Amino acid sequence: MERSILHFNVADFAVAVERVADITLRSKPLIVAPLGAARAVVYDMSEEAYQCGVRKGMALNLASRLCRGSKVVQPRTDLYRKAMGTFLKRVQSYSPLIEHGLEDGHLFVDLTGTHRLFGPPPDVGWRVRREVRDGLGINPIWTLASNKLVAKVSSRLVKPVGEYIVATGEEQEFLAPLSLSLLPGLQGKELSRLHEFHISTIGQLAELSRSQLMVPFGSRCEFLHQASHGQDNSLVMGGPQQSAPIDHEHLFATDTNDQQEVESIVGNLVSRAAVTLRHRRQVARRIGVWIHYSDGSHVVRQATLKQGSSSDFGLRQLAMLALKRAWIRRTRLRSVRLVCDRLHRQSPQLSLFPETTVKERSQEKVLSAMDTIRARFGHSLINIGGARQTNPAVERLAV
Amino acid sequence: MADRQDIHAIPGALTLAGDCRVLFGTCGYSYTEWVDSTFYPAGTRTSEMLSFYGYTFSTVELNYTWYQMARAEAVARMVRKAPSHFRFSAKLTRTMTHELADDWREQLKLYREGIAPLGQQLQAVLVQLPPDFDRTLSNRRYLAELLDGLHGLPLAVEFRHASWAVDSVFQELERRKVSLVTVDEPEIGGLFPTLDVVTNPELFYVRFHGRNISGWRSGNMQKKIDYDYSEDELRGWSEEWLGKLVRQAKSGVIYFNNHVRGQAPRNAQRLKKIVGNSSLA
Repeated sequence: MERSILHFNVADFAVAVERVADITLRSKPLIVAPLGAARAVVYDMSEEAYQCGVRKGMALNLASRLCRGSKVVQPRTDLYRKAMGTFLKRVQSYSPLIEHGLEDGHLFVDLTGTHRLFGPPPDVGWRVRREVRDGLGINPIWTLASNKLVAKVSSRLVKPVGEYIVATGEEQEFLAPLSLSLLPGLQGKELSRLHEFHISTIGQLAELSRSQLMVPFGSRCEFLHQASHGQDNSLVMGGPQQSAPIDHEHLFATDTNDQQEVESIVGNLVSRAAVTLRHRRQVARRIGVWIHYSDGSHVVRQATLKQGSSSDFGLRQLAMLALKRAWIRRTRLRSVRLVCDRLHRQSPQLSLFPETTVKERSQEKVLSAMDTIRARFGHSLINIGGARQTNPAVERLAV
Repeated sequence: MADRQDIHAIPGALTLAGDCRVLFGTCGYSYTEWVDSTFYPAGTRTSEMLSFYGYTFSTVELNYTWYQMARAEAVARMVRKAPSHFRFSAKLTRTMTHELADDWREQLKLYREGIAPLGQQLQAVLVQLPPDFDRTLSNRRYLAELLDGLHGLPLAVEFRHASWAVDSVFQELERRKVSLVTVDEPEIGGLFPTLDVVTNPELFYVRFHGRNISGWRSGNMQKKIDYDYSEDELRGWSEEWLGKLVRQAKSGVIYFNNHVRGQAPRNAQRLKKIVGNSSLA
């Protein structure tokens, strides 16, 4: 069956939300970055700031120099998450199959088979955009294609505003003249290698056979071949990207080798990851800790569990073990990153005999209460003792 | 855009009242529903629909150009799939009618470039105006500028607001050789009425939207145009209106917009049969 995938993309989502919250911000270049931190980095920026050369993750000092006269505001992730929830509600009335991030303004909607209820997919795209624009004041890009890959490429093509419909069967012809840099999933090294071969468009890549691609790219040849032909069989996964590892990073405002500070930050990253796991009804079997030293070097170490966990307490022990393995130098740290992977669904089956101790049961109750409070008032309101409160702006979520 | 293929040479056109050749078609052709309703054979893919459509009709009104700006490369690909005699009418993009963009003049240029591959197969550009576009001074000025910007293209204008149903408007359209769209829609106050006024002797342009009164303002497109014209209704329309239209123009196009559940192609075929057996043929 032919699929109809709608992709919505709000360019610079944090900026769009800030500008809805304060209309005076609409008339000037805007940078969203933490205020008061010595090494703050850009969380998001407006198109005007982008045109000046400002990029996400760039040091705020540099960004301010590049875009003089820009206004800098403190990130409000809870507000962005709330706006995303409202956006999502509008779309949910058209399809139950929606894949979305937490606060990034990206949505994939599978409209396959909904034509009898809601009419032609282009009409749904236009209606949702109109409802979101009128109701929320933000103007999403909408694109329509037979798969996620082509829908995503077309949204990159019309950014920051617009729409694009790629007719089914025309995927390859649509992609052929476009630059390789627009193809999602292409790694930096692969792009450089292709440029070495003087391949700059998707069409040129599509001309190569699988066996030709296998020589330089090995097992990635299948992906490169399919993507360049506009083929993508990946499903629209309901909920916020269920299969992706949970990835949180903290950039220290000032380089540090204070053990207590580092451990409390890791504890906080664990806490955030655990909330996401419980929300997805998943457990993680492995935690990786990435340490970036101030001299530019980095170390990665992991720790695994036989049985997965989504408890702050269990995961915290695991993360501390990984941290201990990774932190082997006295050099100060610039950033620390925590990745939870090997994710599995939490079993809905209750055990016949209680396997948890009284202490574990009381911990579960505490976590449940904390989740309720966080869902209502935001993550930062309550934390476990010893987990230092992080500035949400310098912490990058890359789920 | 000059030197268009003569509509008289198109297979499938009916000659009515002596020398008026009329083409029948639908608004859009790419609907999955039409596979369910058996207009397209089971298993027809989207990319094959235009070829199948061409077996039954010789003209179509492109409505996707309302949702997004026409893009020359996509239009060229579509033209390649259609028979050479096939005619396209193209709806003007919403950024020049319903959601007026600040840079609408720039959009106009893009649109002209986008539909250029239609060449001789362009039947008309349909300027469909929204229901709240009433006859105020600013709207009159805007429409005049818009029509100036589309100069050189065959044009048809569909009003939805009744305030435009005045002689001075018809005279101006006549002066510009722009076709006034004759509509068949529910009898609801404030809507532009069905008229037998032909402002362009080269082409009359008819659109059937269905007569679903309860669904018209539901906000749901599937309900709005969910209507199946009966044989009597189509015969009645033909007797009351078509004769007057064909006597005033050399050619005409009739499109059905009630695409829900494949009603549009069914009704278009039904009307064509009725007209073909009538005294007009």
